[in-house]
Amino acid sequence: VKPVPFDYRAPGSLDATLPLLGLDSAVLAGGQSLVPLLNLRLARPELVVDVNGVPELDYIRADDGALRIGALTRQVALERSELVQRGWPLLYKAVGFVGHPQIRSRGTVGGSVAHADPAAELPAALIALGARFHLRSSDGARALEASEFFLGPLHTAREPSELLVEIEVPQQPEGAGSGFAEHARTHGDFATAGAAAVVAPGHAGIALLGAGPVPVRAEAAERALTGGAAAHEAAALATQDVDDEHRRALCTELARRAIEEALA
Amino acid sequence: LTERLVGQPLLRREDERILRGRTRYLDDIDPPGAAHVAFVRSPFARARIGGIDVPEGLEDVLAVITAADLEGRAGDLPVQGFEGGEVSAEGHPVLARDEVRYAGQPVAAVLAGSRAAAEDAAELIEVDYEPLDPVLEAHASEVTMSRWHKLSGDVDGAFESAAHVVRASHALPRLAPVPMEPRGAIASYDEADDLLTVRVSAQDSHRQLAGLAKVLDRPEESIHVIVPDVGGAFGSKGAPAPETMLVAAAALSAGRPVKWAEDREENFVASYQGRGMEADVELALDATGTILALRARIQADLGGYLMPTTAIPAHTTAMLMCGVYDIRAADVELVGRRTNKVPTGPYRGAGRPEAAYFLETTVDVAARELGIDALELRRRNLIREFPYETALGWTYDSGDYARCLDLAEELVRPERHSNDARIVGSGFGMYVERAGGMFESAEAELLPDGTLLVRSGSSPHGQGHDTTFAQLAADRMGVGLEDVKLRFGDSKEVPRGVGTFASRSVAMGGSAVVQAIDALKEKCAALAAGRTMSLCELAEAEPGLSASARFESDLVFSSGAYGAVVEIERATGRLRVLRLVAVDDAGTIVNPLLAEGQVVGGSAQGLGQCLVEEAVYDEEGNPTFASFVGYSLLTAAEMPPVETAFVESPSPLNPLGAKGIGEGGAIGTPAAVANAVADALGGARVDPPFTDAKLWRALREAHP
Repeated sequence: VKPVPFDYRAPGSLDATLPLLGLDSAVLAGGQSLVPLLNLRLARPELVVDVNGVPELDYIRADDGALRIGALTRQVALERSELVQRGWPLLYKAVGFVGHPQIRSRGTVGGSVAHADPAAELPAALIALGARFHLRSSDGARALEASEFFLGPLHTAREPSELLVEIEVPQQPEGAGSGFAEHARTHGDFATAGAAAVVAPGHAGIALLGAGPVPVRAEAAERALTGGAAAHEAAALATQDVDDEHRRALCTELARRAIEEALA
Repeated sequence: LTERLVGQPLLRREDERILRGRTRYLDDIDPPGAAHVAFVRSPFARARIGGIDVPEGLEDVLAVITAADLEGRAGDLPVQGFEGGEVSAEGHPVLARDEVRYAGQPVAAVLAGSRAAAEDAAELIEVDYEPLDPVLEAHASEVTMSRWHKLSGDVDGAFESAAHVVRASHALPRLAPVPMEPRGAIASYDEADDLLTVRVSAQDSHRQLAGLAKVLDRPEESIHVIVPDVGGAFGSKGAPAPETMLVAAAALSAGRPVKWAEDREENFVASYQGRGMEADVELALDATGTILALRARIQADLGGYLMPTTAIPAHTTAMLMCGVYDIRAADVELVGRRTNKVPTGPYRGAGRPEAAYFLETTVDVAARELGIDALELRRRNLIREFPYETALGWTYDSGDYARCLDLAEELVRPERHSNDARIVGSGFGMYVERAGGMFESAEAELLPDGTLLVRSGSSPHGQGHDTTFAQLAADRMGVGLEDVKLRFGDSKEVPRGVGTFASRSVAMGGSAVVQAIDALKEKCAALAAGRTMSLCELAEAEPGLSASARFESDLVFSSGAYGAVVEIERATGRLRVLRLVAVDDAGTIVNPLLAEGQVVGGSAQGLGQCLVEEAVYDEEGNPTFASFVGYSLLTAAEMPPVETAFVESPSPLNPLGAKGIGEGGAIGTPAAVANAVADALGGARVDPPFTDAKLWRALREAHP
């Protein structure tokens, strides 16, 4: 398992990074997904752009009530951030399910989002929280909603010339509770399925992972829940489109647990 | 006199070196100027090879070797047979000739200045494959590679007169052994001395040496095999590998050392796998639950070729089908089939977990059908007198099966209950296993400082030989543990032996050690001739004073009873093993701490087989498990509390009374957990791995 030969650049700033990005480049951040893909020769970029030396991408801050997470923020930083625990506890709960501590100490929030594994924890949690994804390129900047950003398994709306630079998570309603539940073969393994929920009076954000080709927002369940439905009823609505019977049962149970945890 | 060391739970004295990283594994050895090997492996499960095109001018490439280049230089690997059966003599080719029979089979080898350059070049070698439809199941195969049949007693009569006939069918999927350190070999050739030196990550040097001599058609004296530190094997580094043969053959003409350090992906697709057997088992019982006769038909998915030891595990399964029970009539047939998958071979348990699983789950089916408690049914049929020759032809040397079962029942505290969320069930599984056998060697030398150097034909790769063998030697010689040094794994230094597999190290290697010490003591006594002399004085009187022993014995038979309590979550089908009890009888225990470690480690692998492990091939025969994304191993989080206990029925066959303990955990666990799962499911049976989806579906059908 040796990668196909590639060129390597490690720019020191965002401005120096953006012009390097293109069709044949890959962005190296924490390397927890890219490096195995390179070693298995499944990813064969001509150029690897290492952004680990771009400090301006590594931050967690609150700004007008919203949480702003720089794409290079290590997953472990979410785990340790008091700001996150206080205002966005769902992220704190979800990130603990990402791999093992060694993985979280290298893996980045932006990397997990940009990799877009439909069974990943952070995208689902961010969707339940109504996050927006900020992209930059040499030509400009744009911000996308989750429904616009996640297009398929390992596939997002990010253009090859773009870099995911920030994740913006809006302030959550007063008194919001959150819950995260997941099922994996073994502790720290890739999730089979999972659910993330944020519930407040008149508000519900529910998202599933491992329930389809992209992490999905369960809008029917959100409406039912704000309309007074019980957790198990909303959970059943959340998973009505899941094909496989066992997977549907699994997702329903996990959605129920996440919603009940959020309501507790 | 020193305190007796045998029986003491001493910490492994080799661990400090290992934990400090002072070990030297194969890939830590970096001979200057070495050529690094990458293999071109078949992407197809079954195909004809039309031709191989090697482009000119490959960057940094020293050589590309195909089967044509090996003609007259390397033969196929040898095949080991078994008594009373037929085994195809066709061995695994070092490189594929005109066909490939499994995805991952080595087709060509690239030697380059670095592994990366070798991998780059390997991609550019064009092999003209004509894909054929693969055969992926033993029962779908028309090619038989091994066969064995034994009929003993009046089986038909017993079945005709039986009050009850119970039938059950079972399947155990293939498992990947997944040692922490993958395989690898480094070879170099000294033309002046005509000496081929092969360093290989292996379970011993002897079988590697014999394999190299045979495949390369060279005298054994001209080959020097060195086994460095080995990071686990679990059976998978016992038989010589085609890749090792290639490395050795290449070194003879490369003019430089040749190195192959296997990567994880290769290890998954090309290292031989365990299990992969199906069985139909029938029991004839009288009205009181006495087992009158057994019939079993075993089919083994052996893969595309017979590796040297591929045929062995299924034969072990067949021979052990009467288990711990006094069954006087048996009809057991084994058929090993060729399929288009990587060959199977010995993996921790090596045929014994299959036998225990096939028989013990059938016994539970019988208990359920007869309305007799499963433990009571077992007790009515246990063998109670030893030695005992089974209907299938092996002689169990000693044991106390009833005591093992009593203890397991007492420790496991069986439970059976359910609520809206969960169902809890309990089950037991017993086993008897072949261990030891053949011979082992040792040599004890008195060093000038009065300490002992013991050279053993056995070879450690995680078992703790350096501690247990030192305990044996020190006790026997009446010296301290620190006065004993051990050497293993170098074919030019250690005496010719057999190796570390089949739970044989203490019983065989340990017995050879104490016999060598006994012989040395006799020499010391003769030298002293009545005078009182210290060991230093003796060493001075005769420098190099040493003695050797070769210990030989029939098989010894360890046994045990395992119990498990499991919980199934109704909503998801998730299985949790709440607790596991392991009662093993391995005769005399030299080091209870290490013995327990072996049991717990084996149990973890047995639980992995129950919960998550399965080498899944897609319908085209592609391995879908070739990384830790596709193949899952248990973590500490999934391990239940494992309570262990030992019954000690000394073997009469060796001076230690020892048997084997290396595999009991892997053997007893699946049967016990499977019976607990069936108990929770109200008698519904599924085969491992007990995945959420399988149990969830079984629950929906069973409604317990």
